[in-house]
Amino acid sequence: MSNEFLGGVNRRNLLKLTAAVGAVAGAGLFSSGPSFAAEELSLKGKRIGISTAGTDHFFDLQAYNAQIEEVKRLGGEPIAVDAGRNDGKLVSQLQTLIAQKPDAIVQLLGTVSVIDPWLKKARDAGIPVLTIDVGTTNSVNNSTSDNWAIGKDLALQLVSDIGGEGNIVVFNGFYGVTPCAIRYDQLVNVIKYFPKVQIIQPELRDVIPNTVQDAFTQITAILNKYPEKGSIKAIWAAWDVPQLGATQALTAAGRTEIKTYGVDGSPEVLQLVADPNSPAAADVAQQPAELGRTAIRNVAKLLAGGTLPRETYVPALLANKENVGEISKKLGLG
Amino acid sequence: MSVDAAHLSTALSAPVRHETGATKTATGAFGRRLAVLALRQGSMAVFIGVLVYFSIAAPYFFTVGNIGNVLGQSAIAGVLAIGLTIVIIAGGSNVVTGGIDLSLAANMGLSAAVYASLLQAGQGDAVAIIGALGTGLVIGAINAAAITLAGIVPLLATLAVMNVVAGLELVLTQNTVVPASSDFLSAVSASGPFGIPVLAYVLLGFAALVAALVQYTPLGLRLYAVGEFPEAARAAGLRVKLFISGAFLASGLCGGFAGILSVSYLSGSTTGAGDMLLPVVVTALLGTVFSRRLVPTIGGTLLATLFVSSLINGFQLLNISSTLVSGVQGLLILLVVSATTLLQRKGNQ
Repeated sequence: MSNEFLGGVNRRNLLKLTAAVGAVAGAGLFSSGPSFAAEELSLKGKRIGISTAGTDHFFDLQAYNAQIEEVKRLGGEPIAVDAGRNDGKLVSQLQTLIAQKPDAIVQLLGTVSVIDPWLKKARDAGIPVLTIDVGTTNSVNNSTSDNWAIGKDLALQLVSDIGGEGNIVVFNGFYGVTPCAIRYDQLVNVIKYFPKVQIIQPELRDVIPNTVQDAFTQITAILNKYPEKGSIKAIWAAWDVPQLGATQALTAAGRTEIKTYGVDGSPEVLQLVADPNSPAAADVAQQPAELGRTAIRNVAKLLAGGTLPRETYVPALLANKENVGEISKKLGLG
Repeated sequence: MSVDAAHLSTALSAPVRHETGATKTATGAFGRRLAVLALRQGSMAVFIGVLVYFSIAAPYFFTVGNIGNVLGQSAIAGVLAIGLTIVIIAGGSNVVTGGIDLSLAANMGLSAAVYASLLQAGQGDAVAIIGALGTGLVIGAINAAAITLAGIVPLLATLAVMNVVAGLELVLTQNTVVPASSDFLSAVSASGPFGIPVLAYVLLGFAALVAALVQYTPLGLRLYAVGEFPEAARAAGLRVKLFISGAFLASGLCGGFAGILSVSYLSGSTTGAGDMLLPVVVTALLGTVFSRRLVPTIGGTLLATLFVSSLINGFQLLNISSTLVSGVQGLLILLVVSATTLLQRKGNQ
């Protein structure tokens, strides 16, 4: 599925782009834009379609609400629809949204193969489509955390924590979702150079819904299969809800020597990272509300006649046992 | 047992028509008929009222393009609800002991997964269509066997089959999205004449075909007889179990057909097919208030499907949270079931 995503862009260009953006990101992100100061932006009289795959996780709820508030703050009218993690509903809502002819549509998350034909229909109908965390050529601009950096940072933290050797358990149930695929690929890239680090096969598949309970069950089962201490060094997941279930399972089984890793900065997981006795070792926190606001500001820039880069990167912050207090403060989680 | 005299007289052949129903309810019949009329006209009035309100509040609602979208968005749920309606007709409308097929949504999920997997494996659309419909038929056959041969209550039999089928889908897809694309699938998810989605035409065509079979042929009348009064149907020489098996096969086939539509609509097979179950059951039960004698009919189910889809669509156009729709659905079903139950009790006095 990542091929589908990369196929449209051309792999080599994308890599160049990533390298270039990586270099620019640090400098560019902290100024709010090249030609428009934040005060000049306005969405007065504009109707902005906001569509999300769901709002049942900390990340998407924060990003979704921040988008709605930002549209209102800029004087526009949000038309917000939440698909409740049901693809059929997502497609129906997009279809109706396209027919409502808003001035722009912002799509937050969603499986590319399912939504892409409908994003294309929106584009064909002359409605600019912007996305958050969706890699598709039908979007003018994608606001996202730098998932290459997230994946690399998390993988390096993991490898260094386990001393560069040992078995790791990996949740890889959402390779069809672009950010998850990138993070997973980065993990594979990093451990390629640490031949003593092995991913236990078969990989586990995280599910939605019941992610936490399911991860708990799966990890409990795998602990029974690998009963000796040291036979598993770490558990990796592309997001932190399975990490939550995995961490609970380790604590319940008394196997706290195994460390867990995830992404998103969910408050529950950051709390676990902050707990010195918890096996939760690191969680890369994205800034979901900032992602939502960035996407809406991009809409305003575009509708004011500005041009947008292909991707806008919002920095992510790796929280580990040492710096978690500081990171939580930065995220406004006290 | 609900003995609808007027209904039985059409359902059974003349020699079996007896007077008990007519005489017993002679006095109550008029009042009941009036109540039925009120409920039916009332629900139609509510439906039309909702449409009028949406049209005024959201001018875009009543346009060809939007109505086409509503029809297209109803296609998958509509086909499933029509399948369920056939089962309810043949099994009787008692929610607990009567005809019900809880495996329909899971059936659609597995059939869609089979279709998408076959395409991924390099097969053509023809093979995939046969695969999906075949999957639906096999599921229908298992339901039929469990109910008519093993004698399990449909509610439990199809619940068990639902779990087996949902598990098989997980095994086949590993709980991931299986993308699928082909010219046929694109054609089905595209727009047809007048800018109306092809799926809308598919739903209307399918509903017309099934309605013709169920409402206007001797086969359909016997199906009603079997469901309403199995003893009388048996006395009239109808092979009750055969009709019930046939209904479950038909409903299985509907599941397979809905699976194909779903692959086209969602550009592949996706997870979460089970979410469809409740809306489909609600729709099929709601359909009874849109029929002349408060019995399940294909036309009534089609209207109910469109009603529910219009609500969802209208709420979005009015910028009202779509989470309210499930609340409204729940309220509707409560009203409908209590109204029909009260009427049936009155009819039996």
